[in-house]
Amino acid sequence: MPLTRINIGPVHPSTHGVCRLVVDLDGDTVVKVEPHCGFLHRGVEKLVENRMFMQCPPYMEKLDYVAPMSVDELYVSTVEKALGVEVKEPAAYARLILLELQRLASHLFWFGATCNDLGQMFTGFMWGFRDRDIVLKLLEEATGQRMFYVNMRLGGLVRELPPDFAEHALSTMEYLEKRIPAYRNLVEKNPIFNERMKGVGKLSRSDAIDLGVAGPVLRASGVPYDVRKDVPYYAYSALNFRAKSASEGDNFARYMVRMMEMQESIRLVKEALRKMPEGSAMGMPIKLIIPKAKNRIAMVSRENPRGEEMMYLVADPEKAYRLSIRAPTFINLAALNRMAEGCRMADLFAIFSTLDLVMADVDR
Amino acid sequence: MKIERERLASKLAEMKKSGFAYLVKITAVDYIKSITILYFIRDIDAAKDEALEIELDPADLWVPTVMHIYPAADWYERELSEMFGVEIKGRKAERLLLEKWDGKSFPLRKSFAWNAPYEGM
Amino acid sequence: MLIGSVSALINMLANGLASKNPFLQSAYVVVYAICIMVLISIFAYFFGWIERKVIAKAQYRHGPTYVGKFGIFQNLADLVKLIAKQKMVPGNADRVPFILAPIFLVSLTIFMLFLLPFSSSLQATNMGLGMLIIFVLIGFTPLLLFVAAYSSGNKYADVSAQRSVLMLLSYELPMVISIAAVFLLAKTYSISGIINAQSHLWFIALMPIGFVVFFIAMLAELERPPFDLREADSELIAGWLTDISAPYYALSLFLDYSRMFLGSLLIAIIFLGGWEGPALSGIIWLVGKAFIIALATILIRATTVRMRIDRILRFGWVWLMPLSLINLILAYLIMR
Repeated sequence: MPLTRINIGPVHPSTHGVCRLVVDLDGDTVVKVEPHCGFLHRGVEKLVENRMFMQCPPYMEKLDYVAPMSVDELYVSTVEKALGVEVKEPAAYARLILLELQRLASHLFWFGATCNDLGQMFTGFMWGFRDRDIVLKLLEEATGQRMFYVNMRLGGLVRELPPDFAEHALSTMEYLEKRIPAYRNLVEKNPIFNERMKGVGKLSRSDAIDLGVAGPVLRASGVPYDVRKDVPYYAYSALNFRAKSASEGDNFARYMVRMMEMQESIRLVKEALRKMPEGSAMGMPIKLIIPKAKNRIAMVSRENPRGEEMMYLVADPEKAYRLSIRAPTFINLAALNRMAEGCRMADLFAIFSTLDLVMADVDR
Repeated sequence: MKIERERLASKLAEMKKSGFAYLVKITAVDYIKSITILYFIRDIDAAKDEALEIELDPADLWVPTVMHIYPAADWYERELSEMFGVEIKGRKAERLLLEKWDGKSFPLRKSFAWNAPYEGM
Repeated sequence: MLIGSVSALINMLANGLASKNPFLQSAYVVVYAICIMVLISIFAYFFGWIERKVIAKAQYRHGPTYVGKFGIFQNLADLVKLIAKQKMVPGNADRVPFILAPIFLVSLTIFMLFLLPFSSSLQATNMGLGMLIIFVLIGFTPLLLFVAAYSSGNKYADVSAQRSVLMLLSYELPMVISIAAVFLLAKTYSISGIINAQSHLWFIALMPIGFVVFFIAMLAELERPPFDLREADSELIAGWLTDISAPYYALSLFLDYSRMFLGSLLIAIIFLGGWEGPALSGIIWLVGKAFIIALATILIRATTVRMRIDRILRFGWVWLMPLSLINLILAYLIMR
């Protein structure tokens, strides 16, 4: 039978942005997927070469618009490393809390989107988004913005966490702790969901390492590499953090890893709030920055919701000479073909959504 | 770790055998007089990172492909050749990955006229 | 007053349809047909509204609220919007079948509803082979859907057309076999005969397995989730509806809901005793039972994820088919 070539996207309900997939189908079976990215390429790496260090965080936030805080923080800590700025203990804790909240929001978003891609009539989507909004409210309380925060300054945050933040965060975490079993109830007890997820889109351990996939996708394939555990930053080593991983490497394993990470994040936020030392979390005002890079080259990597993001910065005295960003989603998308080979057309989107892609981050 | 271009493939294969099986990123920096290509690799079980550096003359800009050693290098190499004009020896030409215009100007090179008027597709 | 006039209308229709004068009777059949159309429209309208409301509640939303009290006129507003939009036929499409297929589908569905009796006296015809004819006609709908999808010249619709044929293989046979068990117990093919056979005990009590098989097969027939593969919105954008423009889309929505009505009526007639019930008139019982079935499908829609085509085939042949055969054997034993 001749192959059908179908073009999916760039505008399609399930491609999460502007990704184009050229799929060769044999009946309903996928023979080959060719992802075409680059529709959102804005040349961020070039843009920052012409701007001062602290003009750039807003650009960085638009890289990963589902979890803007994490990219923002990564960029600022790269600059901190280049300029040799210390992050004090209270600021480190505050950042950690915000990052984990951001991870929660991002994973909740992912949960909703995945339910939708699997063909659920928006129920999981609405549930996920509703609770994501509660987390976003918390972030709004802390930063003043719902989505694009620009809340990081060298050495700390733009503003202190509000005095009643800890209380609100704790009550929200308690609420979410009850919600996550409800999500799992909603989908995991459904035999069709299990059928669609288990054993689909397998990525073996050796393949995962060969293809260099990152984050939950890597951890679901039995590689328990987590930057938070292996190269701890901030207070992760002081907190009781356990990296979550699974060994099956299929859709369900990726789902489970993210679900467990959410629970872990909730626990981490609660623990960090308890252990948070007294003191100011304020960063330097931009005017006080002495634009003198101590290290010409700085390299920082962070465990972002979508995987390990890395920035390699070659610093001019006051701006980046070259900033290279390793986007986890970029390399995860490259692995799509390997996972989707031989699966059904319907599973292509299940696999695609468990990769948790944000096209802006892929294209940079 | 600095290394010559000719020894790159054999060195990487050797590193891979010794446990550095995970390619983190291939990137480049344009220092105008020379262009540095960086290979970040990792021993993922021991959480050890290593970087290989190649210094190239802009007039003679090519590196051998390492895709047969690290399949993950696929898209990174394509990105590299699009953004820096680095020729990847041993790979056939493929469609453009990130840039959708001519494929002849290399935006991350310092010589790129980034604020010149746009002249159409 | 409304209830009074409706019951007067029902009585008038019942008398008219039973009249001995052939001219008078055929005139009343026309009136009856119009009344059925109105009934279908009312059901489709309220079912659409309730579906929106119930799913919204399942998702912590409010659903439509602005147009009318509780958003009851929202669907009307949507309908007006859809009808007012431009009609377009894509250049790739095969024009005539593309336009005609949805219309044929709707008229076929209405015709089938017209053949169903709504109470012991409210029926246009009482054919001895009524139920068989219904199931023959139901077999045509996937064919017409295939034509509609294939003629649109869109590749998503092509995939959807292939899926509809594959799905046909999986559910049609179990459905027909479970119906065969019903025929066996009722000892008749006529619809009113089947209902009369349930006057003491509903068939759902006699054949629970058959009910489950038939319900699932009906869900597949009606393309309700989890079997909505033909218009899988996250994969095929809208499947066979991808290239359909707004007025035809309104038609297809109407088609969806009227088929829903047909399906739930069939379940109510075959397994839930049809119009049997105390106190109220038969038509209310029948439509009420159909409505409860329809509500159940809404809840299923709100929670399940979509099945995969190969899994449906497997499910159909590994589970539904043996179950329906077991049901047939059990029915035979009961009949003995």
